[in-house]
Amino acid sequence: MSRWVKFLLAILVGLAAGLLYGWVISPVQYTDTSPNTLRLDYRADYVLMTAEVYHADLNLDAAARRLAMLGSDPPAQIAAQALQFGHQAGYPADDLQLIQDLTSALQSWQSGSGAGR
Amino acid sequence: MSTQFQPVRRSNWYLLTGLLLGLSLGLVYSWVLNPVKFVDTAPAALRADFKDQYRILIAAAYQDTGDLARSESRLALLGDPDPTTALTSQAQHLLLAGDPSNSALALAILAQAIQQKAAAGVPPAATSLAQTTMLSTYPAGTSASALAASLTPRPSPTPSATPGAPFAVLKQETVCKTNLPQGLLQVEVRNATGGPVPGAEIVISWNGGEDHFFTGLKPELGSGYADYKMAPGITYTLQLATNSASVSGLTAPGCPAEGGKTFWGGIQLVYQQPEK
Repeated sequence: MSRWVKFLLAILVGLAAGLLYGWVISPVQYTDTSPNTLRLDYRADYVLMTAEVYHADLNLDAAARRLAMLGSDPPAQIAAQALQFGHQAGYPADDLQLIQDLTSALQSWQSGSGAGR
Repeated sequence: MSTQFQPVRRSNWYLLTGLLLGLSLGLVYSWVLNPVKFVDTAPAALRADFKDQYRILIAAAYQDTGDLARSESRLALLGDPDPTTALTSQAQHLLLAGDPSNSALALAILAQAIQQKAAAGVPPAATSLAQTTMLSTYPAGTSASALAASLTPRPSPTPSATPGAPFAVLKQETVCKTNLPQGLLQVEVRNATGGPVPGAEIVISWNGGEDHFFTGLKPELGSGYADYKMAPGITYTLQLATNSASVSGLTAPGCPAEGGKTFWGGIQLVYQQPEK
């Protein structure tokens, strides 16, 4: 076996070891993440909390600010996604109604203010 | 003299070179070119400031729903070693920072509700390992909220200190203890059920000055406890920032000590909200 072949084999072994170390032995630690990386069910529950607070204070600006933490999508879209998930996951009717109310309010708010266009 | 052919000795260093080169390429690929993307994370992995926002939202939602089990389940998702301490600590930081919103109060009320539930001997739902595990390993068809809702019915809101009858002075007495700082004014604020009221703002004024301090800043002495160091010879008036009777004529008393000497004692004051 020529030296070049052995050299290439050594590189491949090293590459495999590097990938093994980077992906398996010392994978990236999930710390200091932001809310927009939350799993769908956690995002939905976050939206539900926002809807619960909105139900009490009717402060749509504050609700939109809270939902903005979940990403750059329009708040109404984020709420609509949570509503869809809630239906699929079998949320109680009261909770679905809260998210529905928030979604509707945000949709009206966006079309009125031009936000999200 | 004849020249003898010497074969070149070939070392195996090139293999190590190749190995290190490959290793470097692998790490560059796995850490730089194709790093792991942050998706599908859990609230426990959130950055500290986002966790703070999350906690505030949980507390605010609790104010509306009064659903303590659900709030505890949500708090458990943040992975705090002691959710009550985390709530109290955050409330204190907000108070000290002069946060104008009601977030500190909401956090304090939720912390108080959890403490009262624990004191009543009800196992806190938030620390239930089984529930936490179920919530953090989401199976299709369930959700944190749906699960919490199915586990417990919505309880009525925990009595809080905000609305209701004005706080009255339950007890006022002189304290002569040499192991306490001189001139220490100790204030304890209780709600109608006798539970501590954390985050209560206390206003103390004297001729030419005024200061504010809060209960709960020394949790080791109770979440409804606060103290203030009075200067000898100055007369103070004290009341809660909202809805309480005022106490005037507060001054550090002179207490007898050994050898005919005196030292400045303190005052203990207990406020309680009467039942309706």
